[in-house]
Formats: sequence, structure tokens, C-alpha cells
Amino acid sequence: MKTTFEEKEGKYIMHFEGRLDTVAATQTEQEMKVLYDCEGHDIILECSNLEYISSSGLRLFLGLLKAAKVKGSKVSISGMNDNLRQVFAMTGFTHLFEFL
Amino acid sequence: MEKYCKHIRLSNDVQEIPLLNAFVDEICELNGLDDMTTMQMNLAIEEAVVNVMNYAYPEGTKGFVDITSMSDDECLQFVISDNGKPFDPTTKEEVDTTLPVEERRIGGLGIFLVRKMMDNVKYEYKDGQNILTLRKKSDK
Repeated sequence: MKTTFEEKEGKYIMHFEGRLDTVAATQTEQEMKVLYDCEGHDIILECSNLEYISSSGLRLFLGLLKAAKVKGSKVSISGMNDNLRQVFAMTGFTHLFEFL
Repeated sequence: MEKYCKHIRLSNDVQEIPLLNAFVDEICELNGLDDMTTMQMNLAIEEAVVNVMNYAYPEGTKGFVDITSMSDDECLQFVISDNGKPFDPTTKEEVDTTLPVEERRIGGLGIFLVRKMMDNVKYEYKDGQNILTLRKKSDK
């Protein structure tokens, strides 16, 4: 599992690559901390190369969304494959995030 | 469909989860399941097994979790067992997926996903073992 952070046109973008399973989630949680300081910046979670997400991964996404909402930042998800979208649909997450 | 019975024993350490994923991938391939179903199986079984790894045994003590899979023409079955403290994950409350983000709780998604992805989830405590049986009907 690998993440890359970039700031582009005022937006915070994090690219996710690989399998976000229970083991990877601990490390990814640390790497996502940079996104929490998002006042004045919308966030894009770029998931084109994300292959798998467990509920520990879903918790990270939800936790970030909650924090960002308080700060008035939007969180969008881009490039997510159909298999993962299905998981998001099952958990009702498709209503919570904006999909690009 | 090929009949088989396969088994893997993991210690109560989440670092072993990649071994579990490899095991589930192999089972799904044997059953000719597509990518989406394979991923859902992995998710459900990972949730159930991580639950055992994290909560069945007192912190700092060694334990194990057994995963046995078999299939027949009607269904694919995974049995997850351990000899930790009795715990029925099926009694956890339902998650309301329609709530807005402010009201969504961070936890509780694991067992919810297991229920969503499997057709049948059964828990029993027998001979000092927690036994969780997950069944998925075959489409064919």
C-alpha cells in the first residue's frame, strides 16, 4: 500500500495505490494526517490504483470526511473502480462522498 | 464444481492477514468466482478473522484462528473458529447506512459488511470454541 500527497490548484490530493487492508490501515492512517489540516482546501482521494479496501480503510475515509466537514472542506473520490464502488454502495458511503 | 476442504491456521496477529487473503483468493479461484465476488469474500472473511485476532484472546497472549473452507454445488462455506472467550459477533447492532455523515459512527462496519456479503451467517459456541459459519450461495 502506498500513498502520495500533492497540493494542486489549492486542492489537497492523496493518491492511493494497492491494498488498503487491516495491516496497511495503521500506516495509511498516519500518512493521511496531513489531510486533516485542510482549512480552506478541498480534498480529493484519488483511487484509480486502489485495489482493495477493508472496513479499517473505510473508517479512515469516514474519519477524514467528518473532520473535513467541520472545517468546511469538501472530500471527493476520483477514479475508483466498480468493485470498490460496490463496497461503498453497500455501506451507504456513496451518499456521503462526491464521486468524480 | 470441484469438491474440496481446505484449512489454514493463523496466529492472533493481524500481520498474518496477507496469508489469509492469499488463502481466500485461492478458494475463490477454485470456485471460479469473478473479481467482484472474490473481493467481497476477502472483505467479509478478513473482517471476521480480524475480529477474532483483536478480541478473542487477552492482550499479549498467543492464540490461533482456524479457517476451513469447503464447497458443494449449492454453496461456498467458510468456518472461522477459535478457542478464545465466547463472543457472538452476530448480535452487534445494525448500522444505519442512510444517516448523514455527522451521525455516522466510525465503528461497527465490519460485521455489517460480513452480513451484507454473505447469504447466511451463523454463530455457535461449542466445546470451548467460537464457531462462525459464513455461507454464500453459488450462482451456478
